[in-house]
Amino acid sequence: MNILLRKVGGSMSQKPSIGVFICHCGGNISDTVDVARVKETIGSIDQVKVAETFEYVCSNPGQEMIKKAVKEQGLDRAVVASCSPRMHLDTFRQVVKSAGMNPYFLEMVNIREQCSWVHDDKAKATNKAIALVRAAVQRARYLEPLTPKNLKVTESVLVIGGGIAGIYSALELADKGYQVYLVERNPSIGGHMSQLSKVFPTFDCSACILTPKMVSVAHHPNIKIFTSAEPIAVGGSSGNFEVKIRVKPRYVDLKKCIVCGECAKKCPVKKPSSFEENLVQEKAIYVPFKQAIPNASVIDKDYCLYLTRGVCGICEKFCKGEAINFKQEDELMDLKVGAIIVSTGYSLMDPKLVGQYGFGLHPDIITNLQFERLMLQGLHKPSTGEVPKKVAFILCVGSRTTTAEGCAYCCKIGCMTAIKQALLLNKTVPEAEPWIFYTDIRAHGKGYEEFYAKAREHFTTFVRGRPAEVVREGNSLIVKAEDTLLGKHIEEPFDMVVLSPALVPNKGAKELADMLGIDLGPDGFFLEVHHKLRGVETKREGIYVAGTAQGPKDVRETTMESMATASKVATFLGKGEISVSPEVAYLIPKRCDLCGTCIDQCPTRAIKKGKNEVIIDPISCIGCGICVPICPKEAIDLKNTTEEQLIAQIKGIAEGEETALRIIAFVEKMTAYGSADLGGQSRRSYSPEVRILRVPSIARLGIKHVLHAFAAGADGVIFVEGDDSVFREDKLRERVIHFKKDLGKFGIQSLRLQSTTTTLPQYEKMLTLFDDFVERVKKMGPITREKREEVKKYLEGDKIVA
Amino acid sequence: MKYAFYPGCSAQSTAKEYEDSAKAISKVLDIELVEVPDWNCCGAIDAVYAFKPLYSIALAARNLALAEKMQMDIVTLCSACYFTLSRTNKILKEDSGTKSKVDEALESAGFNYNGGVRVRHFADVLLSDIGLQKIKEKVKVQLTTLNVASYYGCFLVRPPDICNFDDPEHPMRLDELVETLGASKVDYYGKTRCCGGSLGITDEEIMLKMSKDILLNAKNSGANCMATACPLCHFNLDARQKDIESRFDVKINLPVLHFTQLIGLAFGIEPKQLGLHRNCVSPRKIFPLTVANASKAGKSAADRNL
Amino acid sequence: MSHEKDKLFAEAKTPQPVTREESRRDFLKEVMNMQGGEKILECIQCGSCAGGCPTRFAMDYSPMQIIKMINLGMKEKVLSSSTIWVCSSCYTCATRCPRDVSFATLMMSLRNKAIRENLVKNGAKLNFHKYFFEVVNKYGRLHEPELLVKLLDKTDFRSLRSNASLGLRLFKKGKLQIRAPKIKQTSWLCTILEKTNEKESQ
Repeated sequence: MNILLRKVGGSMSQKPSIGVFICHCGGNISDTVDVARVKETIGSIDQVKVAETFEYVCSNPGQEMIKKAVKEQGLDRAVVASCSPRMHLDTFRQVVKSAGMNPYFLEMVNIREQCSWVHDDKAKATNKAIALVRAAVQRARYLEPLTPKNLKVTESVLVIGGGIAGIYSALELADKGYQVYLVERNPSIGGHMSQLSKVFPTFDCSACILTPKMVSVAHHPNIKIFTSAEPIAVGGSSGNFEVKIRVKPRYVDLKKCIVCGECAKKCPVKKPSSFEENLVQEKAIYVPFKQAIPNASVIDKDYCLYLTRGVCGICEKFCKGEAINFKQEDELMDLKVGAIIVSTGYSLMDPKLVGQYGFGLHPDIITNLQFERLMLQGLHKPSTGEVPKKVAFILCVGSRTTTAEGCAYCCKIGCMTAIKQALLLNKTVPEAEPWIFYTDIRAHGKGYEEFYAKAREHFTTFVRGRPAEVVREGNSLIVKAEDTLLGKHIEEPFDMVVLSPALVPNKGAKELADMLGIDLGPDGFFLEVHHKLRGVETKREGIYVAGTAQGPKDVRETTMESMATASKVATFLGKGEISVSPEVAYLIPKRCDLCGTCIDQCPTRAIKKGKNEVIIDPISCIGCGICVPICPKEAIDLKNTTEEQLIAQIKGIAEGEETALRIIAFVEKMTAYGSADLGGQSRRSYSPEVRILRVPSIARLGIKHVLHAFAAGADGVIFVEGDDSVFREDKLRERVIHFKKDLGKFGIQSLRLQSTTTTLPQYEKMLTLFDDFVERVKKMGPITREKREEVKKYLEGDKIVA
Repeated sequence: MKYAFYPGCSAQSTAKEYEDSAKAISKVLDIELVEVPDWNCCGAIDAVYAFKPLYSIALAARNLALAEKMQMDIVTLCSACYFTLSRTNKILKEDSGTKSKVDEALESAGFNYNGGVRVRHFADVLLSDIGLQKIKEKVKVQLTTLNVASYYGCFLVRPPDICNFDDPEHPMRLDELVETLGASKVDYYGKTRCCGGSLGITDEEIMLKMSKDILLNAKNSGANCMATACPLCHFNLDARQKDIESRFDVKINLPVLHFTQLIGLAFGIEPKQLGLHRNCVSPRKIFPLTVANASKAGKSAADRNL
Repeated sequence: MSHEKDKLFAEAKTPQPVTREESRRDFLKEVMNMQGGEKILECIQCGSCAGGCPTRFAMDYSPMQIIKMINLGMKEKVLSSSTIWVCSSCYTCATRCPRDVSFATLMMSLRNKAIRENLVKNGAKLNFHKYFFEVVNKYGRLHEPELLVKLLDKTDFRSLRSNASLGLRLFKKGKLQIRAPKIKQTSWLCTILEKTNEKESQ
């Protein structure tokens, strides 16, 4: 059989030989759909050589039947009408492959989850099944042989962000044998955890558990650290990324600095220390902190007199190691990595945005992070240096806030941090009086509820009421609040007020997300693919996220997540190569005029400008098809959802006189289709007039396809896109508005087109929409034959340029 | 600079001196205040709204319609009017149901409002459109002996999506103005605390307590006078000060000026022109100090007779 | 006395749901359609409003509690509380609310609701709004002396005396507006009153 020699780009030049196999599914299908009638009707279609029904096509005998038919009947295409392709597509592809047929010549039709399980009227369900199978047969005529690419991967990893999350992922992967590049924006790794005093609820000394890990990172033969460094450009594709890193000058040679401290002693310039959260001054040349890695000085170029005004330079004269080098410049380097981990951490929201607490107007109104530093400096009031006794902790400063300046989400660590600090205060200061003003106490983790109890045992006063304001009166800070449990007004003086600000993603998150081609969630943190099942993966294969870069969490959750991330990376890179789907966009070069419209639209930046035409990277392409309809020259097509295949399928569904009313619902292949399947599993009935056509994304569709649907016999068209799709909701809406305008030109009512998005579990919304839409179109009545002819004529005139 | 001037009901009665001083300094600063012809009561926050909400919005909207005809921003002296008129704009913009009803009502009376009028408080006009620099140039008398507690009250700074003259928690613009006039600003708790406003009529006790707290805080923080930007606040803090003193048995004796009067003094305008004789708590004790300075600048002695 | 106790004991034996007559959702839905009530379900009961309210001390229920009660459908209690009448509309609550609930605006709407449904317990408050409206509707502007005279309780000698002394003080300072400030175009007041009355009832 010369099946494998059929030429690529198959059109109907050679007569295809199609086999159709219809499953009874043990009654699940055949109880509702008259499979015999389907077999009879389909069997009479041109080029259908074989049409069979079987009890369980997926079973061993069923599979054998298919194999036998392919071999003995010389079939070169196979259509299996049974359950959802999300169940057994791979199974059947393997079946035909083992019979010598290219697996992409196998087409599946969903007549169970989206037909027999959801329709009660047997005649209508059968008619729908016939239409769906006919459509698949017509599409099958245009199928082409495709082969997934196997791509070698680079076995190294880039970790962006050197806090506890980055450190943990780096160590895990380095221990597994991967080369890791750890890139950190600050002059030392360690992140916020290096600033903390003790962690809750165990009271481990934070630096004591972090520092050994930092040292391990420094000494690990598989880890290379770049500090004062940031990625500035990301190219390549999953498994083979090319990242450009910019390393800013430290002005101190890491190899020569012996950390003697002479430079700092002599430096005449003082500046606020960011490690000490601006509570303390340090010199313009400084060591970030005692356990800094790399352990060396660094010069702050915004404060150094030599670098800003060309004077001084004393440090250079006194440096024992001759390590100072004012001539250092930005260094650019290119890294080739197979996977990237984003572990860029968090910042505290500026408490000035919650003006009623007066942050910035009095030195003793501080953040919880500043309190951590004070605990390590020897607890004292920044104003007078005295030891504070009565301290107010105000929670939810900017968190759980839906106004524009705030963060809607919970900061997750505020309650536990305040409880921890209250207990530490009690330990260090005799007769201390910590008060915690809360809205809700969230003590969700292991040992946290007991920790909360401990605080109460140690006479921490808990007041249920978010304070209205902090008023400065003489030397005191007065907190005004309502104790909502007692319904009583409180005005208490305190020595110090500690605010719990919201956690926000670190600066530059948007730019980094754009650079990497991944998304941020509505809260501004890096977005994972699935809340429960894929919490460390981003929408781009090979790029992962760990730690607070993904959202607020505590140290325990961070380290566990980092190890999950490392595991995912190891799985991805582990085989040494990855398989890339062949269902990608491709260029028809002679049509391309380099207008570049497609370049900006591609969600994964897979299209670039070439010399005479654009270049589409098949590795980066995720096959959404957004580039196809927007090309003004129709120079791009999508493998396995080509124009010919799609239009044939549309015609197949819409034609035929079986029912009075025909609706085509174009459904995005993953989330939306999965949702429809879920509806099927729940046996949620809906109108059989709706026939679902699976597409990679609604982005794949242009007005042409909608017109084909109407011309061929559809009376209504629905779009359903997945909520998490790359085709953003606002873009979808924009496109639908254009389509409706275009339909108006043909006198087709805009209400005959409707669009929605859905999440996986939201099938009720989608199926209710189907039913309502059918009712609406029923009222409008079918489209007249004349109108269909008009559209047909227009489409025929609009021939694809050869 | 030309503006549609909306004095508000109080400016013609209990706060006549506010309007007089505003007009006097406007002359110096080349601001032309064109009174909105036949303007009507704005509705006074919710005084009318509570009884007849739709009517009250139409009431306020008429003023905006009249200003729209004049093709000018509408400027008011009263913070409560500033709030009421601004809120009317917001309601008409966001609530299409109410808008259509109000439009119909206005049309039936021959009016038409298209939402194009910006509502400004006079203080904002002075500070944003004229600017501190120009004001400084016109200062003839440095008010160096005054420690002024600027009182912002409620509607100058709240709610921030409607009234946004300054930061709602720690406003400084009037304090900056005070310093520009050569006086010292006083930091005290209560600069944005409610004076009791409209409660003065039906819940006098509550209003007196609220105003008392503000006055005492200002005084105890070292102020020797207060500056207000709303005739209702001024009334509660000034005209009712005597009642506060007797009700709570405290001595306050803190003169309360309209901020326009303060500016007028610094411009060297005659106190009588500024209506200072109408302020209930006599500002006399701070006058000799400022007028003495004024006489140094060459003003007539007649001004000393008040 | 013992009759009260019996009632309490009887209620304790068979606890009644918080609302009896109307479904809880009805009042809540009404409030959500009012100006200021749109985001009422967002409230997380943090108490910032209560903590900063300058007239809280004179309220029987704090702002936060009023919202809770609305949520529970306690219409009568809410509309007859002192809270909605003692609110000075200072907007401190609305400015600080982390959930963007405009409580002060809601107070204005609830006042109107209480007036419409005849649930105003405080006669002086009802009269204030009624007479304010009447005076403004008559002249187009407020004539304060006329309003005050209408509001005066002619049997309360003490208040009569203090009002008279205040009036005299103001008169001396030329702050008493004797003549009513009538606008020229008073006819339009009738027109819009008629029209808005008609629209209100729709």
